[in-house]
Amino acid sequence: MKNMSLSISNILKFFLIFSLSLSVNSTTLKVGLVEYPPHLDFKNTLNKSKLFQYTNAVFNKHGLKVEFIKFPYRRGLLELKKSNIDLLLPYDNIDKSVKVLSNPLFYSVPGLCFKKEKFIPILSALHRLKGLKIAVPPGVPVINVLKNSEAILVDMQGSDIINRGIALTQVGRIDAFYHPSPLKVYHSGNERYKEVACSYFHGYETGVFIATSPTMSEKQLTLLNNVFKQAHNELSYEYYFAR
Amino acid sequence: MFKKCISVSLSLFLLFSSMLAKANDQEMKRIVDQVSKMYISSMVFLFKHQWLINQKGGDKSELFSEPFINNIKRVYEEKYQEDFPKSDHIAKKMLLQSMIEVMEDNRPILTDADIGFKGIIPATFASQLGRKLAIKGIGLKIKFTRMNEGIRNKANIPDAWESAMIQKIIKVPKIYYDANAVVDGKAVYRQFTPLPMKPYCLKCHGTMADNPLNEGKDRSQWTNIDMTGFEMENWKITDFGGGVSILMEKSSLQ
Repeated sequence: MKNMSLSISNILKFFLIFSLSLSVNSTTLKVGLVEYPPHLDFKNTLNKSKLFQYTNAVFNKHGLKVEFIKFPYRRGLLELKKSNIDLLLPYDNIDKSVKVLSNPLFYSVPGLCFKKEKFIPILSALHRLKGLKIAVPPGVPVINVLKNSEAILVDMQGSDIINRGIALTQVGRIDAFYHPSPLKVYHSGNERYKEVACSYFHGYETGVFIATSPTMSEKQLTLLNNVFKQAHNELSYEYYFAR
Repeated sequence: MFKKCISVSLSLFLLFSSMLAKANDQEMKRIVDQVSKMYISSMVFLFKHQWLINQKGGDKSELFSEPFINNIKRVYEEKYQEDFPKSDHIAKKMLLQSMIEVMEDNRPILTDADIGFKGIIPATFASQLGRKLAIKGIGLKIKFTRMNEGIRNKANIPDAWESAMIQKIIKVPKIYYDANAVVDGKAVYRQFTPLPMKPYCLKCHGTMADNPLNEGKDRSQWTNIDMTGFEMENWKITDFGGGVSILMEKSSLQ
């Protein structure tokens, strides 16, 4: 009985999404992609990036026509705000005025990247940060536990924070650098990842979303929310990436 | 006649409701028991495979994806002498998925051939797993906790119910349940399972003599800082170390 009601509910959801998609799929959705390794890595062909595979499969399943366009992060966000593109992904949700789909694609966890010889694996051992010189990239909000620790926080200059941070740790000018998502630094796709080791402030996860254009219609927003909610319930992106 | 009919119907309805509630509580207990055992099995596997986790280089495929779950299944069946549970409820399905996700999150450090001690110990794994489950929004929360004093990770501080159960466990060590708890206005089922102290726990929480970092060193050079960077607590094998607290929303059965 329970299974039957679940099936009926699934069929109804399918028809709701199908009928909504019929009305909006005549136009092509412009989807901006910004680099977010290892989920979306522009060094390889897009087909090899799991986030591209996943979102492309979701759009295809629902018969939605899409055009993917690669952007540097700031340009992508600007194009979205001007409504020159419909969606932008992945989006860290730093600017709360940007609308996002309700389900996060995945979560990012902030952390520290150390020169390997100075690696601290468990960051809840906050006392170990005492006196360490930790660089913080410009414009990046720092979590309170780090602010309140006895580490010496210094501002990092420049825009290429990953390479700059690695370089500074290697020459010993800093002990570590803070990153809102160290996975972007510490993954096998980064040629320099072997120069550092990163650990995380678990418990400070933030969602990474699909951002939507400010002028997107309610109808289209509802459709996309339903499409990605259904996809998430069937197979979440996090599990798709991990399995 | 009519009044009698109403009264009989009402009695039958109340009886049926109470039977249904009891059946639901039993089903909830069964699921929570299994979730607890699966969670503990994963911690046991990590305890027993610290050598593989901290090995510099080599094949680490047993720590990821399906091979990792198969290892946990083996530990479960060996430890509890029963078949590994079927994934017939979202809590069990999501627990297994989350285990795979946590190990994948840690892949860069686990496969870093330059780093020895990786910090992926049962307590940190359990903590990451608990948080991963909490954000999935399926009404399941798991925490590896102990009494407030001396807790290492402040994120694992016990709530009032857990603190009360810990006090009971210290007097009578057994699994405690609460089928009628309400948390944040939601009806939940709660369970607290004590984890008996094992010799391997003392490597970090015991005395300086238990600290592997002191092996082969003169006593004057011993340290009371364990390999994770925390001060050792001087616990003994008979002390209460901690336990697994599980909270499951009753609505997850519907």
